[in-house]
This record gives sequence, C-alpha cells and structure tokens, in this order.
Amino acid sequence: MFTNLTKLDLKDKKCMSDAGSPKLCMKALPGEGAERSCAYDGARVVLMPITDVAHLVHGPIACAGNSWDNRGARSSGSQLYRRGLTTDIMENDVIYGGETKLREAILEIAVRHNPKAIFVYATCVSSLIGDDVDKICKEAEAKLTIPVIAVNCPGFLGDKNIGNRIAGEVLFERVIGTGEGSDEKIPLSINLIGEYNIAGDLWGVIPDLKNLGITLQTAITGDAKFDDLRSAHRASLNVLICSKSLTNLVRKMEIRYGIPFMEGSFYGIHDTSETLINIAKALGDPDLLERTLVYVQKKEDETRKIIAGYKKLLENKQAILFTGGVKTWSMVSTLAELGINILAGGTQNSTPEDFQRMKELMDPSAQIIEDTSSAGFLKIIAEKKPDLIVAGGKTKYLAHKTRTPFLDINHGRKLPYAGYQGMVTFAESLTRTVLSPVWGLLKQEFPPKEGELDG
Amino acid sequence: MAKTRHYDGNPQKNSPALGATLAYLGVNGLLALLHGSQGCSSFIRLQLSRHYKEPIPLNSTALLEDTVIFGGWEHLKKGIAMAADKYKPQIIGVMSTGLTETFGDDMASALSSLRSERPDLVVLPVVLASTPDYIGSMQEGYQLAVEALLTTLAEHPSNPVETSLSVPEQAPSIALLPGCHLTPGDVEELKEIVMEFGFKPITIPDLSISLDGHAELEAAPVVQGGTLLEDFQRLPKCSACLSFGLSMEKAGDFLKQMYEIPHLNFPSVTGLTASDEFVLALAKISGRPVPEKLLRQRSRLLDTLADYHDQLGGQKIAIALEMDLLYSLGSCLVEVGSELTVALAASQAGIHRLSLPIPIEVGDLETLEERAGQSNLIIANSNGRQAAGLLKIPHLRAGLPVFDRVGYPQKRWIGYEGTQQFLFDMLNSLG
Repeated sequence: MFTNLTKLDLKDKKCMSDAGSPKLCMKALPGEGAERSCAYDGARVVLMPITDVAHLVHGPIACAGNSWDNRGARSSGSQLYRRGLTTDIMENDVIYGGETKLREAILEIAVRHNPKAIFVYATCVSSLIGDDVDKICKEAEAKLTIPVIAVNCPGFLGDKNIGNRIAGEVLFERVIGTGEGSDEKIPLSINLIGEYNIAGDLWGVIPDLKNLGITLQTAITGDAKFDDLRSAHRASLNVLICSKSLTNLVRKMEIRYGIPFMEGSFYGIHDTSETLINIAKALGDPDLLERTLVYVQKKEDETRKIIAGYKKLLENKQAILFTGGVKTWSMVSTLAELGINILAGGTQNSTPEDFQRMKELMDPSAQIIEDTSSAGFLKIIAEKKPDLIVAGGKTKYLAHKTRTPFLDINHGRKLPYAGYQGMVTFAESLTRTVLSPVWGLLKQEFPPKEGELDG
Repeated sequence: MAKTRHYDGNPQKNSPALGATLAYLGVNGLLALLHGSQGCSSFIRLQLSRHYKEPIPLNSTALLEDTVIFGGWEHLKKGIAMAADKYKPQIIGVMSTGLTETFGDDMASALSSLRSERPDLVVLPVVLASTPDYIGSMQEGYQLAVEALLTTLAEHPSNPVETSLSVPEQAPSIALLPGCHLTPGDVEELKEIVMEFGFKPITIPDLSISLDGHAELEAAPVVQGGTLLEDFQRLPKCSACLSFGLSMEKAGDFLKQMYEIPHLNFPSVTGLTASDEFVLALAKISGRPVPEKLLRQRSRLLDTLADYHDQLGGQKIAIALEMDLLYSLGSCLVEVGSELTVALAASQAGIHRLSLPIPIEVGDLETLEERAGQSNLIIANSNGRQAAGLLKIPHLRAGLPVFDRVGYPQKRWIGYEGTQQFLFDMLNSLG
C-alpha cells in the first residue's frame, strides 16, 4: 500500500559520495538529537498549503494535534486548509481497526466543509494496524463527487525529504492533468514549484512576473487552488524553487507533458534577477528576454539604492548560517549582498548539489557545521562568537540563550523575504535584529564589579 | 458526549507525549528522549517552543521502517546510551508514542538489558513513562510522567554526595505537585504562598525555574533549572504533600503511601472559595495564622468582586480547555456570577468527578465553533482563534498552545491575587 520507494527519485542515494560534502542524508541516530522530522511532516509541508481542500490526518492526536495550523503558508482565498482535521485514532481503533471511522470521517467532512478535494494522510499507527487508506479513499470517492486522495506517508518511512517526494508523486499521479478543462499550453506561463507562500513570499514575486508579462499558472503549492493545480500541466515552464525536494515531480512532468524545468531562487537581488532572466530565456521569447534584462537592471538599481543604508550598518558583520533546502546557497549570496561574512554554515535537508553550491559561494575559510544537533549548534557559537545567526526557528530560542542576534528565515517568520521587495524587508529585519539595543543590555554585567559602581 | 462525528475538527488536544515532555522539562539536568519516529519529537519541540519561547531539549530514538518490522527495542537502548554519552545529562526521561506502543516495545527490559551491557549507566536515573498517543491528552501524559518520576526516583539508589540530609532542615519541607494546567508563573505563586506559612517547598516538577524564560549564564542542551535530583531524596522529610489539579491526585497518593505523610488534593486554586480552602489548609498544617499579606490580597479580591459584579454577572462564556484548567477557570467564573454556555474538555480524564453547572463534554474546537454562537467570550488556547474569528466573539487565550499573545507562561491566575488578575484579564478581553 505504500508508495514504492524504489520508484521515487531518491537521488540522495548518491549522497555518500566523496565530493567533500558531509553525509547529508545519513540516517539520524537514536538519541543524538539531530532529528530531521518525518515523512508525514514532509508530505504535509508540500500538500497542506493547498487552500480549498480538506486535509484529513488518519492518525492519533500526536500527528495533527501538535501541528495543525502551525506553518506560515498564506492564502488569498479559502481558509479551509488551516483547519485541523484528524480521525484522532483512539485505543479501540488500534484494537479493532480505524477503517470505519475513516470512511465516516471522509463523508462527514465532505458535507460539513464542502472541499474541492480531500487529502487523507496515513500515519505510523494507521499503517501499523493495517488500515487500507487507499481502498477507503477509493470507496469514498465513488460515493462523492470530489477526488479523495490517499497520501501514504507514515513517519517511519524516513525524514522530511522522503515525505516531500511522496507528496510530489501524489500531485503527479492524482492531481496534475486530471481537470476537465483544456490541455492546451498557456504561452509565457510558469509553475513555481516548491514555493509555499510562507509569510506571503509568493506575493512578493507575483508583481514582478506580472510586470514582465509572465503568467503564473500555479505555485506548487503556495496559495494554490485545487483546480489551478489540476491544470498545472498547461504551463510552459516549471521553475523549481525549493531545491531538490520536488525534482521527481518536475522530471515526470517533463516526460509526460513536455514541460522543461529549471532551478531558481527568489532570495536576494542577484538570485532574483538571475532567476527572472533564466525564466525569460527558457520561455524562448526574445521580446520577453529584452524586457526582462531592462527590468531587472532597473529593479536591482532601485533595490540596491534602498538597502545601501542597511548595508553600511551591516557590513563586515560575522554570521553563522544554518538553513535548509535551497536557502543554503541563496542565503549565502543574500548575506554577501549586505556585506556580511559567513564564519560557518550548516545545512539540513539539502542535497549534495545544494551543498556544493553553497560551499563555492562561501569563503574557503568558512567552516561547515557537521553536527546539526543542539549540542553542535552551541559548540559552534561558543567557538565562533558570531555577530548574528541566520537559521530556522527551531534553534531560535537556544540562540537567544547565548545572547546572540538571531533571524528566523524558515516557516515560523512573519515577514516575506522573497523577490526584490523581500530583499528590502530582509535587510530591514536583519538590521533591526543585529542593531537592537537589547543585546548590549543582555551583556551588561550585573551587579557591576567592585569599583565600577562609582564610575 | 459532544462527539457524534468521526473526526476531530480543529483539535484542542495535544499528545500525551507532549504532556510528558512538559513534566520532564521541570527537572534540572534532564534530557527527554522520545521513543518514536522523528516527526513526533519535531512537532512537540515546535509546539512547546512557540508557547514558551524557549528551547526544548528533546531527543528521539528516530525510528525508521526497519523498526516497524523488528521493533524499537534495540533503538531505545542505543538512544539512551547515545543521549547519556553525548549530552551527559543527570537524568534521562523517556516517553513512548503510538508507534512504539502499537508494536509493544518493552521499555523496562530494554533498560535493564542496556544496564547489564553498560554497568556505568546503572547509576544514571532513567525514567520510563508509557504514553501512547491514542490514550488521553497532554494532561494524561504529564500525569504519567510525574508518576514515573516519583516512582523511579524513590527507588533509585541515592547519590552518596548528598550531605544536606544529615543537616537538620531550618524550615519544614512541603511537597508540591502542580498539574499541567499551572503556568510557570502559577507555580511560582504556589511556592510563594506556602513560604508565607514558613514552609520550604519541594516542587515536582518545577517549571517556575526552568520554563520561566530566564536568560541563562550558559546555554545547555539539557533542562536548566527545575527540581534538583537531591530534592527527590528530601521527599521523605516532607511534613505534607499538596497536589494541584485532580490529575495530580494519584501522584500525591503515591507520596502519601510511600512516605506516610498527609496528602491534600486541590482540584482548583483559582477563585475565592478555592483559594480560601488552600490557604486554610496551609494554616491548619502549619499551625500558623493566615499571614497579613494574604489577608490583604483577599480583601482586594473582595473589593474587585464588588466593583465589577455587574460586568462579571452578565457574561455568557464558552470554554474549551484541558480538564483541570477547564474546571479551575470555569468554577471561578460560576462563583462570580458568569454563565457558562459551553464546557468542552480535551479528554475524558476527570470528567465524571468534577462538575460545573452545565454538563462537561469532550469536544474539539469545531464543536466550540458550532455551539458558542450566543456567547460573549471564548476561553480556549490560541487555536480557538478560528472559531472566535468566524463568530466574531472575543477570545481569551488560556491553556496550551498560546502563541499569539505574549506573556502567557508568566501569568498568575491562582490564589487571591491571581484570581483578581484572571478576572481583570477576562473583563479586559471583552473589549
């Protein structure tokens, strides 16, 4: 019943290569404290931003109860995706099976919430007790007028990356190309894959695309509507934003629908421009390319002018960078844009390619963080004594205990950092953090040593 | 039963393993180790850290597909050994999950097998709490972990470095067992109140000095602050045990039997009557009169009740919380003349033993949304924001998680002063 993992595009298998990168995809060891979450989490990260569908978690309360509505993916329309829905498997379900409960739950949710589709997530416990989620979904679909899509992503299958890929597989097999509308390609249209509209990131990029005359068919899956996703095969180009987590999806879309793909990033001035230019090139429209070259130059000049003041304040600050996915390398160049030096960088959930790219951009003397546990994190801060830390939210409060300025760039943040406007917001946020007067207050000795009282 | 549906919509429950983590976070030098897959611990860390704005030291045994076939027994052994070697905690607190309970890992035998292979680990206390995700909520998990802490450490060979036992205590000790409905601020208030009566409190677990959000001299990846291991060894000297929240009754009874000390359980310490009962009990045990400071606080509360009786009396309030907190806040509101319209508990625990003027039912926040339409106020955790937003009703944040209002972990809503603060917060949230 599980997605056949051998069919997935598990490029990570190569990751033990001797290319100089750490063992990025090594299994987390019991007790070491460097967990990379689970396959269920990875699947929900990709699928749960789809706004107008119901996301039903078939598991005990630990899977949905601790986690629902906790990511910053924003919607311009339906708020249904934010609803926490779970079968809340109880002791009796473990003993007698949870299939009946799941069947009823799907039908009830269809009536109560009127979703465009229902995604049903299998979890560790539902899989262990042998509930056939595929079968139940098929049966429910036959009774309803909407798709009921099983996502077989029990946490024990692996870490977040595996879950991302399972979600990509589900989108490819069950969503994309299943609409009733036209299959005709839309000229100058793209999908942004791996863009989840965290804190409204996507909305910082859409104006630039519009100004250039590029149509966004859909993001996969930030602020996505189910029907737009179904027509994702009508786009002329796939732009992969969040590193390799959905490479399997774009590869398969290339084969089945003939949609070429490219990688890009909208973090930082340089990467945003490069990505826009590459999109224009890949779409093969000479006018568009010409427009784009002029446009990005103008935007770059404007943006650099605005952030010049921040750059002055941040220049030559020393940072530790600790991120996931695509941000590993695009953050290096974003920080460099502000004149910030990187003392050490580490990464989780990034592929060897991402990692190599980051390494090339960093100063050769910069250290690579291999121990990604909290113990390793504290050790590197103690050694390097950075002026700031740029990382995901999970290390935020630990960093604060070291009295070091910290900027959260992951899903917990409140402000969008993508595109040119995002760069300005990023520079503002970073300046506010680094130059906050509180760090000075935190470092004052109290009570003052003898003799300093009078002075 | 409120639940006629086959699903939870906008659950208010947190997992029992999260509750166990919370209890463990109140013990100094402890490293919590979750026996399950990696997502279980990731979600708990995220949920607790967005509530407390604190780092949450919690490792996992990182179970993968092979363990589903072969069981997680070996992983648990490896995990305990790795956590001990790498982090050097003074104590390890393990909790199980739905995954490991479904295939039935025997945690106790894994621990004794590890200890026979690694004799150096025999002296390291390891607490095992069985907290399957499919039974109960945060409150049950917290309760099970507190009970496991007490039973394990009562039997654990005491550390020879202990010297203070031979020195006669200046003040008589009293054991406090706060439930998970109390914030770090509440726990501090409890301690201050018993100190007013001349007692030296031993608090288990003590979130008031671990999750109170303090700037540490040096950050560490294990629990900083909280109950000291030596404190567990002082328990036999306590003159009494006071437990707070019905969920802590069993743990208090354990101490009562183990050390032959009196035990009193206080289902609530919020509200005038509940605070009176608590204070009078302390006066009786200590043989001292009620301190002037508390009398003053009491008279201020009385004045507040008089001044705002009209506003308090007019409110129709819908509450959805974990049982002990639901009862504490609900009974306080009833006492001052507010009307409860909906009372939804997160789980079954205690539901038949505690009562409010309206039936208490188990329910989720979608049920709250369906039933709270005619109310003036919703009291629920931050996840109640969807219901409050749709119904356009003010929402007082309480319980866990509270992530969209600042300062909740520092709030004190118990005792005379805390009750006054709770009523102020309640009235102010009405806008």
